[in-house]
Amino acid sequence: MAQTIADELQSDVRRMAGMHYALTLAEQPQNTPPPAGKYPFYVNHYGCPSAYYLERPEYYDAPYNTLIYADSLGKLTPMGRDVLRKVEWLRNDARDKTGELTELGKQQAREQARQMVELLPEIFTDRCFVDGRSIVDNHCLLTLGEVSLEMSRAHHSMRMNADASHRSSMWMNPVDKELEAMRSDSLTMARYADFIGRWAPDDVRLMGILFNDADFANGIDASALSRQLFDLACSTQYVENTGSLSLYDVFTPEELHRHWLRRNAWAYIRYGGCTLNGGYQPYEQRRPLWNLIHMGDSIMTLDYPVVHLRYTQESVVMSLVCLLDLDGYGVQTSNLDSLEALGWADYRIAPLGGSMMMIHYRSGIDDPDPLVRVLLNGHEARMPIESDCEPYYHWQDVKRYYLRKLYAYAKERNDE
Amino acid sequence: MLMQKRETMNKTHWLLAFALWLLAMGMQAQPVFDIIKKSPGYASCNYDVYPDDVPNLLTPPPSGKRPFYISHYGRHGSRYINKRSGYEIPYKMMVQANGVRELTSTGKRVFSEMNLILEDSEDRWGDLTALGRTQHRQIARRMFNRFPEVFADSACVSGRSTVVPRCILSMEAALIELAQLNPRLNITIDASKSTQWYMNYQDPILRQSDLRPEAQKAYDAYIASRVGNSRLMELLFKNPDIIKELVDETFFNYYLMKMGLFQLNTHLNKDTYLTDLFTTEDLYRMWQIDNVQWYLQYGFCPLNGGDYPYSQRHLLRQIIADADSCFRLSHPGAQLRFGHETVLLPLVCLLGINGYDLRTSDLDEIEKKGWWCSSVFPMGANVQFIFYRRDKKDKDVLFKVLLNEREAKLPIFTDCAPYYHWRDFRRYCLNKLDRYEKRVKK
Repeated sequence: MAQTIADELQSDVRRMAGMHYALTLAEQPQNTPPPAGKYPFYVNHYGCPSAYYLERPEYYDAPYNTLIYADSLGKLTPMGRDVLRKVEWLRNDARDKTGELTELGKQQAREQARQMVELLPEIFTDRCFVDGRSIVDNHCLLTLGEVSLEMSRAHHSMRMNADASHRSSMWMNPVDKELEAMRSDSLTMARYADFIGRWAPDDVRLMGILFNDADFANGIDASALSRQLFDLACSTQYVENTGSLSLYDVFTPEELHRHWLRRNAWAYIRYGGCTLNGGYQPYEQRRPLWNLIHMGDSIMTLDYPVVHLRYTQESVVMSLVCLLDLDGYGVQTSNLDSLEALGWADYRIAPLGGSMMMIHYRSGIDDPDPLVRVLLNGHEARMPIESDCEPYYHWQDVKRYYLRKLYAYAKERNDE
Repeated sequence: MLMQKRETMNKTHWLLAFALWLLAMGMQAQPVFDIIKKSPGYASCNYDVYPDDVPNLLTPPPSGKRPFYISHYGRHGSRYINKRSGYEIPYKMMVQANGVRELTSTGKRVFSEMNLILEDSEDRWGDLTALGRTQHRQIARRMFNRFPEVFADSACVSGRSTVVPRCILSMEAALIELAQLNPRLNITIDASKSTQWYMNYQDPILRQSDLRPEAQKAYDAYIASRVGNSRLMELLFKNPDIIKELVDETFFNYYLMKMGLFQLNTHLNKDTYLTDLFTTEDLYRMWQIDNVQWYLQYGFCPLNGGDYPYSQRHLLRQIIADADSCFRLSHPGAQLRFGHETVLLPLVCLLGINGYDLRTSDLDEIEKKGWWCSSVFPMGANVQFIFYRRDKKDKDVLFKVLLNEREAKLPIFTDCAPYYHWRDFRRYCLNKLDRYEKRVKK
C-alpha cells in the first residue's frame, strides 16, 4: 500500500523542503520490460537542477542579523545561541555561493546520469546523440555539465552537446504574463490568507525557546523569523548529512508539518490546477508540451538513438507534470485543505534532482505503433490515458490526447 | 671525444629549439597587413576566430624530464556579440538612411544583411556558438594528445570558470572532450562567485573607463589619419555628402566592419558579403586603431598609467600557489580555468610573454615591436603552463609557456629555452608583484 504524505514526511524530514527537497537517488528507477520486440530509441527529458544554495544572500542574512542583534544584547537562550551558531555556519558556507550548485547537487547529477545510462543501455551506445540544453542559469548549467561529463565517460564515441541560450527560453522556460497575472488575484489571496492563518505554526513557542526576554521577543516579527529558520532548516540537507547542523529541532513535528502545508498550498496555487485562480496555471508550460509532441514525432525518422536533456527551473517541471496530469497531479480543486488527501505534494512532483523522462520505444524504424513510458523522479508514472500495456502507452493515443487538450485551451484563450 | 659529441648534441638541441621557436613565431614575422590579407578576421582583434593552423611541433624537453602538470587560463570560444547595442549604431543609421530612400542597390543589400544578422543574434547576445564549442573541444584534444602523461589513468582535472554562461559552456565542452578521451579521469567543474576575485578581476582603481588626457591626445593624433571611409559611403548611399547629416562616417565604417567580421564566429560565417565590402587597407587601418586602444587600456602604456596588467596580480599569485601545492602530488593532473580576454591580455602582458610587456609612449612603436593584440586573444585564446620534472623528488621543475598552443618566450634568462626553471620564474613574478604592491601602498 502506498505511503501517505504524512508517513513520507515523518520518515524523511528533508521532504519538508518541498520543491527544495534534494531527491535521493539511491534506488534504481523502475523498469518494467517493454512489450516483446520493442526497444527504446529516444528520451525526451525535462529536469530540475540538482541541489543548490538558497538563491539570495537575504535568506541567510535576515535570520542571522536578527539573532546576532539579540545576542549582542544578551537576549538569546542557550538554544538561541546554538541556533545562531548554526545559522552563522550556514551563512559563511554560502558566502559568494548563493544560487550555486552544492557538492551534494554535483553528486546527485552524476548519479542521475549513471542511472540513466544503466537503465537504457540500448540508447546509450556509441551511436547515440545526446543534446543537452540548459536555461541560462548557474545551477542548471552546472547540473547539465555534471550530467554531460558522466555520460561522456560512459561512451567515449557518443556525440555529446551542452548548450544554453535565451533563444531556447520559449520551450525551456516560457513565461505567460497573462496567466501569471491571474495567479494572485484577490479571491485566491484571500483564500490563501485564510489557509495560512489556520495552519500557522506556534511561533510564540518558538520565540520562547530562542529568546530569554518576552518583551524583546515581542518586538521581533516572529512569523518572518519562523519562516526564515524553516528555510534554513530545509537547506541543511545540501551541506551536511550528520545532523550536527540540524535546525529542524527548533520546531515541533506539528510545526514543521504546518510550514510544509503552507508552502505546498502556495506551490499548488502558482503551478498546479488550483481552480481558485482559474485552474489554468499549468498551461504556462504548454510550449514544452508542444515540444514533447513535436520531437516525439520528428525523431521517429532517425535511425540512431537520441537523448534530449533539458535542465530548467523546478517550477517549469512542476507545471509541466501537472499539465501532463502524471499520476493525477493535474488534479483541480479550490479546497487547499484537501491537497494532502489528494496526494498532491510538491516534493513528489519536482524536487531538486528530479526529472520527467518520456522514453520512446519501437520495434524498428517503420514501426507504426511506437510506445512511450514516462519516468517521474525514477517512478513509472501513470498518464490520464487508457492503455493495454501500462506503464507503456501508445504514442498515437498520447499525442492525440495532449493535442486535444492544447487545442481546447487555445480555443478557450481565443474566445476570451 | 665524448665532450665533443655532447657539445654537438647541445648545439643540435639549441638549433632545433631555435628553429621551432622561429616557426612558432612565424605569424609575428609576417607583417600585419599580410596577415589580414590572408585572414581578414585578424583585423577584428578580440572578435577574431581561434586559428585552426596550430603547428604540431614542440621542442622536446631536456632529457629525463617529463610533463606532469598543466596550469591553464583560456578565453571562452566564439560567441555572439554581447549586446544589441554593438550592432545598433550602424543599424539605426541605415534605418534612417533607408527611410529617406538614400540607399543604393548595394546599400539595400547591406541593410538586408544587417537585418538578417540582427534577427539571428536576437536572444543570443553573448552566447557561445557551435564554433566556440568546437574550438574548446579541439584545444582540449590537442592538449591531451600533446601531453598524454598529464592525462593518464585517473589524473585529476579541475575545470573552473567565471560565472558567465559562455565560459561555463566552454569549460564543459573542453572537459566533455577530455572525459571521452580518458573516461577514468577524475574531473571536477565549478563556476562560483567565490572565485571571481582572481578568475575575473577587474581592478576598479586601475580600470579607468576614459583614457587619461595625454593618452587621449596621443590616441586622437594616431587615429586621425586612419578613420573614415569615403569609398564605402559612396558605395552605399546615393548622396554621400548629404547623408552625413544622418550617418556618421567614422562610426558607421568602424561598426559595420565589426558587424561583418563578427559573423565569422557564428553559423553565418560563410556569408562574407559585409566583410567583402572592405579592402585590406580598410581592415588594416581599423586593426591599427583597435590595437592601439587595447594597448592603451590593457598594456603597460605609460601614457595611461602604465600599470593595468597588474590587475591580474591575484590570478598570477593563484597560478603560482596552485602550482606550488600541486608539485607535492605524484599526479597533479591539470587545472583549467575559463574566462575572458580582458583577463587574458593583461595577464600575458604581466607575464611578459613574447614581449607583450612592452612599455612605450610612442604609439607608432607598438605595431613595429610586435605588440599585436590579435595574436593574444582571439576567441578561445589560451595560455598553458606545462610543467616538467624527473620525479616527485626533482627540485628543479621546468616549465614552458604556450600562448595559443605555440611555444612562447619569457623575459627571464634560461639555459634551456623554451623551457624555464620554475624557481627562477616564480621568484621573478613574486618580486615583480611585491614591488608593485609596495609602490601602490606608498
